Amino acid sequence: MKKNSVIKLMAFFFLCAIIILPVSHASAEPAGKLIMFHAGSLSVPFAAMEKAFEAKYPKVDLLREASGSRKCARKISDLNKPCDIMASADYKVIDNLLIPKYSDCNIRFATNQLVLCYTDTSKYADEINADNWYEILQRKGVVWGHAEPNIDPCGYRSLMVMQLAEKALDKPGLYERLLANRPKENVRPKSVELISLLQTGNMDYAWEYLSVAVQHKLNYIVLPDEMNLGNYKYDSVYESAVVKVSGKKPGTFTTLKGKSCTYGVTITNDAPNKEAAIAFLQYMLDPEGGLKILKEMGQPPFVPARVPTSEMKDKLPAELQKLIIVKD
Amino acid sequence: MTKKEPFFWITVSCGLIILAFILLPLIQMLTAPSFSMLKETIQDKDVVRSIWLSIYTAGLAALIAFVFGTPLAYILARSNFRGKHLIESIIDLPIVIPHPVVGIAILSVAGKNHWLGQFFGELGIRIMGSVTGIVVVLTFVGLPFYVNAVKNGFENISPRLENVSRSLGASMFSTFSRITFPLAWRSMLIGIIMCSARAISEFGAVVVVAYHPMIAPVLLYERFESYGLKYSQPVAVWLVSVCLTLFLILRILTLRNKKDE
Repeated sequence: MKKNSVIKLMAFFFLCAIIILPVSHASAEPAGKLIMFHAGSLSVPFAAMEKAFEAKYPKVDLLREASGSRKCARKISDLNKPCDIMASADYKVIDNLLIPKYSDCNIRFATNQLVLCYTDTSKYADEINADNWYEILQRKGVVWGHAEPNIDPCGYRSLMVMQLAEKALDKPGLYERLLANRPKENVRPKSVELISLLQTGNMDYAWEYLSVAVQHKLNYIVLPDEMNLGNYKYDSVYESAVVKVSGKKPGTFTTLKGKSCTYGVTITNDAPNKEAAIAFLQYMLDPEGGLKILKEMGQPPFVPARVPTSEMKDKLPAELQKLIIVKD
Repeated sequence: MTKKEPFFWITVSCGLIILAFILLPLIQMLTAPSFSMLKETIQDKDVVRSIWLSIYTAGLAALIAFVFGTPLAYILARSNFRGKHLIESIIDLPIVIPHPVVGIAILSVAGKNHWLGQFFGELGIRIMGSVTGIVVVLTFVGLPFYVNAVKNGFENISPRLENVSRSLGASMFSTFSRITFPLAWRSMLIGIIMCSARAISEFGAVVVVAYHPMIAPVLLYERFESYGLKYSQPVAVWLVSVCLTLFLILRILTLRNKKDE
């Protein structure tokens, strides 16, 4: 009797094994969970890419987590959270926080620029334009804000835009005067959060990426290239904007120089599902795939995507190398 | 010695698993930072300010819950009326709603796209990014805990005591203050503890409404975001220790009085 039940038990486990095995030992086709941390400003295009990618590879389940880019990096470096792909709104974040320990590639794939967003109910919405925005932001009673510079690249970039405006418009002291009319309370951890403040009427104006403004159908003021951080040809001009953000410990600071908004993506060294990660990047960096979606959503892509050195390119899987060029 | 039944051992082991589940991560976190880090952290003005703001706003929320929640709890405990269950479920709603939703909901009535927000704006009251906003959020999430605790307290007091007092000619107010309140104050204190404990631990709803000024959980989050785990843990240790001490004192106070009676 007892022997009988042991056999039954063994048979049961055997059956379980048969059911489970095919899932874990899948064929060449990528399968399983694919974990991706990405900047909040990439949420909408990545949602679209997820749909298309999962239709192409139905066995892969793409799990996306959106947060500030620096937080994405912290989740990998400090919390050791498993992650396959990390996409940052500032490719420098990958250079500074992940390379070389957690990752060894940094693929630049898109650009963006900063705009000043508002809604129809914003104070002075009927007056504001590209020539008087800085006057309106100084008016009493106008509530405007930006993202936290220590957490979200959109935050320090907003500050840089205003510094560049001071210079380009030749209005000494403009930056300080603008900030004097922006209480600390109007600073939020993520730029995307500011949108709900705009939409609920808690805030009148907010600095956002162009892509975010387009995706959320907000009104926005486009600024000239010499101050919008959108054109890499102006990088030497952008460099003159300098913002201090938190360093490695409280009370210390790192100085950041202005640079055009360039997005970076990387595969982590410990990627649990490298196969699927490569498949996703293959789709994402395809000019007819992910890059096309980015373009439609107000985020001009680099076609083709680029890495800074040929050394880095050589480290990439062959499938990806053909989608990438070396360009500083 | 009687032999213990297997059931006994099952209960004991389940209990131990639960204790370990709660304590292990907490102990790990509490013991992670070095002493010098802890010292450095408590000398940081921002940290002290945020912990103080947390205690202060949570206390205010509990006070508001006490003032407005006590009469409501009394009615709910004493009378039966149509729609009572509906009111009870409405009071429980803040427990069920995800925290960020609470924040978003409060923001959506506080903006000038809503008549209430417009009204507040004219009075010069700001919800977004203000201490007022934080207290509003904490009261919202803490209220159910207060009302439920106090309602139970009132239910445990026999209405006959009140009836006797009333029949001897005492007014409703003096009956409440001389009979019901002295019997129910302990449940009120427990309600206040529960409400402020819930309030002090709130993060999700507050961060939507007010990032600055920073309450301790928000500062912790900010430290984690910008400096990593190492510099957020000491803040956590201080917040947990301060809260535990406060709640311990309150508990001891209530227990001691119980023995006296």
